[in-house]
Amino acid sequence: MKKKNSQSTFKNDLKRLEEISTLLDDSELDLEESISLYEEGIQLSKKCLEALSTAELKVNELKAKIDLNNDEDSLN
Amino acid sequence: MADTLTVSEITKLIKKDLEENFSSLSIVGELSNFKAHSSGHWYFTLKDSDAQISCTMWRGVNNYVFFSPHDGMKVIIIGRITVYPPRGNYQIEVRAMQPAGVGELQLAFEQLKEKLQREGLFNTENKKEIPELPMKIGIVTSIGGAALRDMISVAERRFPLVEISIASCAVQGIGAAKSVADAIHQLNKQNDVEVIIVARGGGSLEDLWAFNEEIVAYAIHKSKIPVVTGIGHEVDFTIADFVADYRAATPTAAMEILTPEKVEIENLIRDLDDDITEKMYNIFSDIKEQIYSALRSYGFRTPVDMLKLYNQKVDSAVYRLNQMIEKYLSNQKNETTLLTTKLSAYDVQKTLAKGFVLVKQEDKFVTRAKKFQIAQPHTLIFYDNKIQINKNYEEKK
Repeated sequence: MKKKNSQSTFKNDLKRLEEISTLLDDSELDLEESISLYEEGIQLSKKCLEALSTAELKVNELKAKIDLNNDEDSLN
Repeated sequence: MADTLTVSEITKLIKKDLEENFSSLSIVGELSNFKAHSSGHWYFTLKDSDAQISCTMWRGVNNYVFFSPHDGMKVIIIGRITVYPPRGNYQIEVRAMQPAGVGELQLAFEQLKEKLQREGLFNTENKKEIPELPMKIGIVTSIGGAALRDMISVAERRFPLVEISIASCAVQGIGAAKSVADAIHQLNKQNDVEVIIVARGGGSLEDLWAFNEEIVAYAIHKSKIPVVTGIGHEVDFTIADFVADYRAATPTAAMEILTPEKVEIENLIRDLDDDITEKMYNIFSDIKEQIYSALRSYGFRTPVDMLKLYNQKVDSAVYRLNQMIEKYLSNQKNETTLLTTKLSAYDVQKTLAKGFVLVKQEDKFVTRAKKFQIAQPHTLIFYDNKIQINKNYEEKK
């Protein structure tokens, strides 16, 4: 289950990390906010790298509709 | 002696025998006496040098024939034998027809290409954008094919975080086209598939024919999900390639453009990591400087407790930040740190090269105008050189 979550949120995490990098450019941010953003960013990058290194390709096959014509029509 | 039969009885037996034994036929032959009746039905004869057989193809079925059949054309038909008792004759009820032979195929290809071009199926403004980092890719191909194995191993090697959904289909023979179209529809019903690859390994023009049929072209055109084709080899162009939102030369090439190299993504994450660390350093030194300058300018007028508060804030922030950076650095490999320094130096050089100038005063970069003390000595750092400006010296002169 954990794996599934990390897979589906990977893209969001990466986006958030990019967003944090932009947010840290904001000069209006106070120190506390910056620090908490920074902490979040470091966590996210760790999480993303880990997701990448432990990932295993997921492959599934969709069940085909039963269509007898297809078999009959095949020339092979 | 056998029982005597009526004409009806023997016809009934013949009908049963023929229709049972020849219910699924594939026949190659030459078209002759082709007639498209006003009712929409087609009547023709299929022949070779020694024999001929009558054929019918009903309206509704012949809609799927995308080329214009004409006498003398070599075709392959799929159908069954039917017996018509009132006339005592038999014929083939045709269910599908495709051109046979390279010449016929080429012609049909050109005819369909022209038709679809007129209908606007190849227009670039209709092409959908290919998502940058798709997390779920649908594949339309034969489940047992080498193309599928190749694509899966590419995905595994490059970006194993991706999920693959396979809609298996026939990729060859009459009926394959419909099977491909069905698979595309099927993937369109999955709401999380971000992009579809329609693929088939290399083969002859006949082998690749399914991808030159109208039904596949329309299925790709109507797909809400962007479609990338990887059909045959680099030199093969099919109708499906023209309609697709992106045409890759081969199945593996299709998978490659949709998956980033793992290392690339890792580098991107590490760069972001370095980037926010550097920004944090800058924020920290900025704030430190702000506070120091506040202390310098208003030191005597600021109530003592305010100062204390400030100091405390600075101390705790410095403490937290140092701790965090320590922690972060110890977690990173030395090379990464080296790379960061190199990269950030390179970034500054790049910025300077564009014509920006850095101002340094009292060994610190002046990042805000309000912090700049015009009367004090300062250094301007250009891309190519530094200029030291010493106000005091000039005033004396």
